[in-house]
Amino acid sequence: MTTRTPATRVSFAGVLAAEWTKLVGLRSTLWVALGTALAAASLAYGLSLFAGRGDGPTGVSLVVAGSVLAQTGALALGALVGAGEHSSGAATATFTAVPRRLPVLAAQAVVTGAGAGVTAAAALAASALATTDARTRAGLVLELADPETARMLAGFVLHLVGVALLGLGLGALLRRPGAVIVAGVILLVVVDQLLATNPGQVTDTLRAALPGAGARLLLDDAALAALDAASRGPRLGAWGGGLVLAGWAVGALAAGAGRLCRGDVTR
Amino acid sequence: MIEVEALVKRYGSTTAVDGLTFTARPGTVTGFLGPDGAGKSTTMRMIVGLERPTAGTATVDGRRYAELDAPLHSVGVMLDARSVHPGRTAFRHLLAQARTHGIPRSRVDEVIAMTGLEPVAHRRAGTYSLGMGQRLGIAGALLGDPGTLILDEPVNGLDPDGVLWVRRLVRDLAAEGRTVLLSSHLMHELALCADRVVIIGRGRLLADAPVHEIVERSGGTLEEAYLQLTAGAVQYRGRATTSPTTTTAGDAR
Repeated sequence: MTTRTPATRVSFAGVLAAEWTKLVGLRSTLWVALGTALAAASLAYGLSLFAGRGDGPTGVSLVVAGSVLAQTGALALGALVGAGEHSSGAATATFTAVPRRLPVLAAQAVVTGAGAGVTAAAALAASALATTDARTRAGLVLELADPETARMLAGFVLHLVGVALLGLGLGALLRRPGAVIVAGVILLVVVDQLLATNPGQVTDTLRAALPGAGARLLLDDAALAALDAASRGPRLGAWGGGLVLAGWAVGALAAGAGRLCRGDVTR
Repeated sequence: MIEVEALVKRYGSTTAVDGLTFTARPGTVTGFLGPDGAGKSTTMRMIVGLERPTAGTATVDGRRYAELDAPLHSVGVMLDARSVHPGRTAFRHLLAQARTHGIPRSRVDEVIAMTGLEPVAHRRAGTYSLGMGQRLGIAGALLGDPGTLILDEPVNGLDPDGVLWVRRLVRDLAAEGRTVLLSSHLMHELALCADRVVIIGRGRLLADAPVHEIVERSGGTLEEAYLQLTAGAVQYRGRATTSPTTTTAGDAR
C-alpha cells in the first residue's frame, strides 16, 4: 500500500453520486433515452400527418401523442437500473459497499426519475420539432401559457417518470430485466385492452385502478370528459389518474425494498 | 479480524453451512479450503452481509458487517470476478464504488495502477479475460485500503506473473498487520502463502490449524493432508472414462 486513504464513510450523497456514475457509465442508458425520444417523435409525426382533417386535435395533443411508445422506453430504463444490477452480478459489489441496501434503492429512484425526466423532455422537444409542419398547416398553436397545455406537457413528463419508477420497483422485485418488461407491458397495456372488450361497472373500475390510468395526465380536457362520460367506473380526471400510477410505483418500490431488505443478494 | 460463530445457512431443505466456527486473525493469511459445494463462498457472502445467516453470527472487528460505517475501509471483498456490469468500464465500476464512501478519484487511479489494469481501465468489463476480471476484483478489494481482506479464488485465471504478484501481495498485506481470508483450490499455492488453514466439508469444520501442523500430521504435502481430511466430504466427483471403445467409431460414416 503506497498511501493510507483518509477515513471516509458511506453517505446518501455518496450513494447518489455512485448511482449516477453507474447510470451514465452505461451505453445502454443513452441508447434507451435516444430510442425513447425517437420513438415518441416518430409516432407524433405519423399521427400529425392526419391532423386537421378529422375532428381537430389541439397542438399540444399532437406533441404528446408519442407517449404510448415512449412509456415502453421509460419502463426499460427503470428495468435496466433495478434489475440490471442483479442480472449482471454487479449487485455483489454494490451491496458490499452499501450493506444497508435501502439507500441504494432510494438513490436509484432519484437517478431513474431524473433520467426519465430528461428523456421525457427530450422526447417532447423532438416531438414538437417533428410536428411543426403539421401544426403550421392546420393552424394549431402551442400556447405554453395555457394551463391545459402546461398540464399536458408536465403530465407527459410525470407519466414517463412514474412508469420508469414502476419499472425500477419491479426490477428490484423480479431481478430480471426481461421479466420486468413483460410484467410492465401486461400491467400498462394488455390487461387494460382485455378489460376494454367487455365494458361494465366492474371492468371500468378495474381499468381505472391500473397503472395505465397515468396516461390521463396527458389527455386534453375534451378527451378526459369523453372518457369519464363513457366510463361506468370512478371518474378520475387527469390528476386522479396520475395518483393511481404513483400508487403503483410506490407499491412496486415498496415490494422491491421488501425483497432487498429481507432476502439474500445472490448471483 | 473475522469471527465466525456457529454459523448456519439453509436453503429450504439444503444445509449449505452447518454450525461453522472459526477465526481469521490479524497479521496472518488464513487459507479457506474445501471441496466444491462445501459452503466456502456462502460463508464469505454471509460475512459481508450479502446473505443472511439462518443462525449464528459473523463479525468483522467485533461488529456485524452491515453495522459498519465505512465497510470498504474495514473489509475488502473479492467474491467472484463477474461482479461487475459487462457494459461498464473498470474505471467507472471502481469510481462508483469509491463514491459511495467519498473515496477520492486518485485512489481509483492508484488501485488501477497497482493491479496493472491501466491499459484496459477504460474498456468495458465485458471484453475482459478471466485474468483481467480477477485483477479488477482485487482492485475493488484494495480500494478502501481495508484492514481485512476476503478473497475468493483470487488467482483463478491469472497468468504465472499474476499468481506470483498475488502471492506477494497477500504476504505483504498480512505483514502490515491485516487479516487475510483467502479461498483456493490450489494447494501448492496455499502452502506457499497461507499461515493457517481452515478446511470445511459439507458446511462443517474439518480442520483449523497452522499449515505446518496439518502437513506434519499427515506426513506428506498440504495436498495429501487436504485429500485425507476431505475424503468423506466430497459431494461432486468426476469419473474416469473407463471404456476406450466409445460409440463414436460405430457412428462415424
